[in-house]
Amino acid sequence: MSIAAKITIFIREKYHGFISFLVLFLIWSGVCHYKLISPDFLPTPATVGTAFVKVVSSGILGKSLGGSLIRIAEGFMIGTTLGFLLGAVMGVSRTLERLFAPLINALRQVPIIGWIPLIIIWCGIAETSKVTFIAIGAFFPILINTFEGIRSVSHSYVEVAQVFEYSRVKLLRKIVIPGALPSIVSGIRLSMGTSWLLVVWAEINTRSAYGIGDLLSSSREEHNPGLIIVCILVIGFVAFLINELFGHLEARLNTWKKSYR
Amino acid sequence: MERLGTLEVKNLNKKYRSQNDDLLVLDDINLTVQPGEFISIIGSSGCGKTTFLRLVVGLEKGYEGEILLDGQRLNGPSLKRGVVFQDHRLLPWLSIEKNVGMGLKNPKSGESRKTIQEHLELVGLKGFEKHYPHQLSGGMSQRAAIARALVNRPEILLLDEPLGALDALTRMYMHQELERIWMKEDITMIMITHDVDEAIVLSDKIVVMSSRPGTIKKIIPVPLARPRDRAGYDFANIKEEVLAEFQLHTDHPFTYSI
Repeated sequence: MSIAAKITIFIREKYHGFISFLVLFLIWSGVCHYKLISPDFLPTPATVGTAFVKVVSSGILGKSLGGSLIRIAEGFMIGTTLGFLLGAVMGVSRTLERLFAPLINALRQVPIIGWIPLIIIWCGIAETSKVTFIAIGAFFPILINTFEGIRSVSHSYVEVAQVFEYSRVKLLRKIVIPGALPSIVSGIRLSMGTSWLLVVWAEINTRSAYGIGDLLSSSREEHNPGLIIVCILVIGFVAFLINELFGHLEARLNTWKKSYR
Repeated sequence: MERLGTLEVKNLNKKYRSQNDDLLVLDDINLTVQPGEFISIIGSSGCGKTTFLRLVVGLEKGYEGEILLDGQRLNGPSLKRGVVFQDHRLLPWLSIEKNVGMGLKNPKSGESRKTIQEHLELVGLKGFEKHYPHQLSGGMSQRAAIARALVNRPEILLLDEPLGALDALTRMYMHQELERIWMKEDITMIMITHDVDEAIVLSDKIVVMSSRPGTIKKIIPVPLARPRDRAGYDFANIKEEVLAEFQLHTDHPFTYSI
């Protein structure tokens, strides 16, 4: 299939989604055209377009996005790796579950913002604190989903494996992990979404050199509403891409699962 | 060479421990199954027939007495004993051919591929290698489960109400298929069922069990030629004999005793 054909199909499938964007854009243009709201509050599409071109051509947007993505990559990797490992051992061992579950359940009730004072005392307000913050946010969704995924694997399949004399390692590799995989991927998707949210939050609140949140913050300080809108659109777009990517992965892994729709 | 697949059960007792006292599930079960025999175990639900089968499989542990396969005491599950469960238990994330190859040590080797192919042909699933379990009907899934259980060439195949979840017509068709597979593979089969017709169509012997505690009430031989005629006179007589064990025999309104 040619790329053009693929794009056509993509647009047709997402047709309804594009309509909502178009309607919002038309209302926005209309409001600006008839000067219903002062451009100091709501910049015109043209202003936003200009701001976008400027921030792209100067390379600032690229650098900011890059900075944020590196932070996410670090925090997300640390958080999901630890979360996956703990979730997996808790899923496999009842003893470890009894040992860790109360602590985990208590800690995950703490809103992520509630960690900030402690993180700042421990890690300051530079890179480490942001990465730690993201890691904590990414840690819990993957942990819970890995644990639940493993526990949802039916004992019937374990019995089949016993009849075939599977070793413990083979049982994990062939039955437990594949059975838990859809749930684990959902967990990764949730963790990724949380990471993106938290990186923006962290950058707005504790400034760094380059980051999409920093760009947002500085555009407010410079009173550049056009740039603010650009930042919001970029943040939304990246979140959309992340979600689509993992959504596709999930759908591919879930082909064997029949859902009610 | 002596044929393999002799199962001997001697003075088997099984208890489940509860808080106050032990619950006797199986009471003094004695049974010998010859190589190549087809045995059905029939009984109402709760008579311990599934517990018995699970003990023979090795999934249930802790019993008194002896269960011997070819003179060897059983110790946990083994590739020598294949199992088909009531629910097919195919792994939903594996294709049919991979499911069938689950029990093979090295499922990707040329020899394994050939074995898998042979067994898919045996159960009539040629052409469905790449399908996934959710794309198969109940009967086809159960065929795949039978192929998976046979692929290691077990000495004995244990079937726990394998056709219980199928509709009546599919079940009758599967009776023919199961009989054909049994004859071709020349393997010992023990099947749990609660369907009297099914037991008579397939078995050399029918073991009737009674409940609480589970005991063997009677062993009824079925000396009929195969394939069996469900509408035949002898078939009806044996059915009568089996049903009588469950106090379910009908009085014939047109027979009189003088």
